[in-house]
Amino acid sequence: MHFPTDLPDRPQEPLLEVKGLQTQFHTRAGVVRAVDGVSFTVNKGEAIGIVGESGSGKSVSALSIMRLVDQPGSIVGGSINFHSKQLGEVDLVRLPSPRMRQIRGNEISMIFQEPMSSLNPVYTCGDQVMESILLHQQVNGKVAKERTLELFRRVRLPQPELAFNSYPHQLSGGQKQRVMIAMALSCNPQLLIADEPTTALDVTVQSNILKLFAEFRQELQTSVIFITHDLGVIAEVADRVLVMYQGKIVEEGPIWDIFSNPQHPYTKGLLACRPRLDMKLKVLPTVSDFMGMDAEGALTEKKSQKYNSVGEALLFNVQSQAEIEQHQQALLQKPPIMEVRNLKTYFTDGGSWFSRKQEIVKAVDDVSFEVYPGETLGLVGESGCGKTTLGRSLLRLIEPTAGDIYFEGQRINELKEKEMRRLRSEMQIVFQDPYASLNPRHTIGRAIMEPMKIHGVLANEQQRKEKVMYLLERVNLKPDYFNRYPHEFSGGQRQRICIARTLALEPKFIICDESVSALDVSVQAQVLNLLNELKQDFGLTYIFISHDLSVIKFIADRVLVMNNGRLVEAGYPEQLYENPQEAYTKTLIEAIPHGHLEDIRKAQLARKLAQRKMGG
Amino acid sequence: MLRFIAKRLGYGFLVLLGVVGVVFFLFHALPGDPVAMMAGQRTDVATRQAIEKELGLDQPLAVQFYLYLKDLSPLSIHEDTAEEQEKYSYIPLLSLGEDEVLVLKGPYLRRSFQTNKKVGEILLDNLEATLWLALAAMVFATFFGVIFGMLAALSQNTFWDHFLVIISVLGISIPSFVSAIIIAMVFGYYLSDYTGLNLTGQLWVNHPIYGRTLHIENLILPAFTLGLRPLSIITQLTRSSMLEVLSQDYIRTARAKGLQYYKVIVKHALKNALNPVVTAVSGWLASLMAGAFFVEYIFDWKGLGFVTLKAVQSLDFPVVMGATLFIALIFVLVNIVVDIFYALLDPRVHLS
Repeated sequence: MHFPTDLPDRPQEPLLEVKGLQTQFHTRAGVVRAVDGVSFTVNKGEAIGIVGESGSGKSVSALSIMRLVDQPGSIVGGSINFHSKQLGEVDLVRLPSPRMRQIRGNEISMIFQEPMSSLNPVYTCGDQVMESILLHQQVNGKVAKERTLELFRRVRLPQPELAFNSYPHQLSGGQKQRVMIAMALSCNPQLLIADEPTTALDVTVQSNILKLFAEFRQELQTSVIFITHDLGVIAEVADRVLVMYQGKIVEEGPIWDIFSNPQHPYTKGLLACRPRLDMKLKVLPTVSDFMGMDAEGALTEKKSQKYNSVGEALLFNVQSQAEIEQHQQALLQKPPIMEVRNLKTYFTDGGSWFSRKQEIVKAVDDVSFEVYPGETLGLVGESGCGKTTLGRSLLRLIEPTAGDIYFEGQRINELKEKEMRRLRSEMQIVFQDPYASLNPRHTIGRAIMEPMKIHGVLANEQQRKEKVMYLLERVNLKPDYFNRYPHEFSGGQRQRICIARTLALEPKFIICDESVSALDVSVQAQVLNLLNELKQDFGLTYIFISHDLSVIKFIADRVLVMNNGRLVEAGYPEQLYENPQEAYTKTLIEAIPHGHLEDIRKAQLARKLAQRKMGG
Repeated sequence: MLRFIAKRLGYGFLVLLGVVGVVFFLFHALPGDPVAMMAGQRTDVATRQAIEKELGLDQPLAVQFYLYLKDLSPLSIHEDTAEEQEKYSYIPLLSLGEDEVLVLKGPYLRRSFQTNKKVGEILLDNLEATLWLALAAMVFATFFGVIFGMLAALSQNTFWDHFLVIISVLGISIPSFVSAIIIAMVFGYYLSDYTGLNLTGQLWVNHPIYGRTLHIENLILPAFTLGLRPLSIITQLTRSSMLEVLSQDYIRTARAKGLQYYKVIVKHALKNALNPVVTAVSGWLASLMAGAFFVEYIFDWKGLGFVTLKAVQSLDFPVVMGATLFIALIFVLVNIVVDIFYALLDPRVHLS
């Protein structure tokens, strides 16, 4: 069947032309070339996506266009030609500040990654959107208020009047992002820059926000630069993609081409390392499978790659149905390592000496399940569903309110602190934020050694030191990193250090609480592979907590879905993802951005047809 | 809101009770004999005993404490006599038995051992001077502290930033008695011909011809001295809080809107940055009322601190106790006001 993907395009009129842009940061360690000679064009009404991992320079490029790069960074070269409605064609790099302010927020507006912190906490949402309207349009307060309410209705805020008078902390993350979108659209900008606008949001919220974006693009004919590290997201919104790597654009092309026929090894790696929903892989391909690594561990291009194409990478790793079933059977043979019966963890809100009025929050509400030795149990749910509380309750880091937890047949609810401490060396947890969970003043060697000292593992300092070196090697770090401090490591390396620290006590059971959520897709793939490898070698059992269903699909042998403190559905990922029984699970799965070729083609076609209609 | 205030008042009451207890027993653990201070070293035993009895110092400590609390309590039982009525100036509520009556009264702080004046009156007489001094010092410190702090933050890592930080470190670390003595000596004595300032520690001076006149310039030196430390701390606090706020995402959002620089600073950054400053300012205000002891002493400023220090020297228990309690009360009240103010400034704070 032939899809007419090549509908004749309307004549392209450039809106923004970036040429040889160079933005550098002058730090003590030297000059960092964050953006290193980037050139691209955005046409009127076009949506382009910029993909890359953190530190690739994609956000700095966007901030350079807005001229919002802070000290010690500065734009040192290149030009950014913008076809302004008020000022005609101007070079944004050389535009005087007062002129730039006329463009900022008016003709070019920006949406940021963190809706939680991007709104000023001491002003109401309405005030903050109105401020923008009052600044750029010659209208009085009453008109500005009406326009703001109209915008709030258009971005589908549930109660526009209420949202207008609400302070940011009173809204949810998704609602805050809608307010940000309303603010960005308030002056009908010609260009909208969205910097990872959905990364911090749950999948269901993300899919709604993406729909909103698609709608506005059609209605307003606004050009969009959409920045993300997630290729799945970009497939839903962009016509053309730029792939950035170490401050340079390594590949550029229509979205269909990038997905179906990537040229650059880095692009191939990015495409291959995303955990997939349609097949079960033994090992996730990583970017380094496509590219080489030099002596310092930094990625460089290499000619002799492990795989030549994405398809090849997948083909080598796919697990057959028989293999999966055999694995599932084998797991259930042994008695469970952990049994949880009717576990409840409630929090009380308020209440004090003088008043006894309390509100009860049921974070974990009557949950029962088993964990079998050697398996990875995936626990998935949206933020606030109680999955983290559940994980911590299992280790009694948060004291459960009621119910039983059996670990290797022993009920641990009422164990004394001392016995519990002994048991905790067998049950460990890896947290989400590798930046916050390492003490910046301790060397990583000390950080890994500390739990061994506390629990009296191994006889002397020398033996412990050797063990640390061994563990560092096991998590693919160099043993001579022993005396380095956490700030010298990247996020992925820090998470490896945390994993090594966990392994120091030789646990049987590890809870991974969103352990890869803060990492880039490519780094995420490496850490996931590492976890699987360690599981095999050390005979570990995992509970893997995540909001990301694709990650769960890859790593979990069985999946529990959680909502509002309760278990909604449980099952093998193969069945659960194909044929979810509960409505909640269905919405979760449908909301995942797939990045399937078919979907991309359809979305692109729909966009083009709509454009033609608009153009008449 | 009302419930919050009631709750805080309840806590405040407990704090005051604790203060009474601690000061009471501390005072009686002090060496020295108030009776001897009053009557002189060579008084005969009979006179001494008479004085002790009159002051209630012959009773066991626990009974003394009970009697003091009874004097303080707004609701208490007293003898229904004209003498008692005059002493406590109470309003009888309910007659209990023959000559006892349940009464409502203002807390009775007793009379000074030294002057026999009512302690309440002594405090009120001296409160005004301390209040003006503390207010003047605080207004001075806040006004310049916020300005200096903002200037330092906005010119981070330049000469002026370093200069302000170094000066403020000096201001924080010099003890107030040192700076008070130096400032008094230099500006109030050596340079007094040029500055026109002297060490007359009074706002109102009785002039032989013009009568009672206001001398606001007498406030300058003590207020400046007293304000130095808070000024330095507010400068540093504003600076660090401003720097933190300036790195927040919402400042970038405000700039991305196209707002002018000063609007971003004043409207979006300052209001957020001032929260910790407000807490500090109000905490300081309360402690300045109490902590002006040295400054008042050196500048001969006739305020609460001055009176309290004199009373401690002469073991004048009722005055010490009364002044301490009074200052503690101010502390509690100011803190409640601060919390309310804080909630007004930051919508995320809930009073519950």
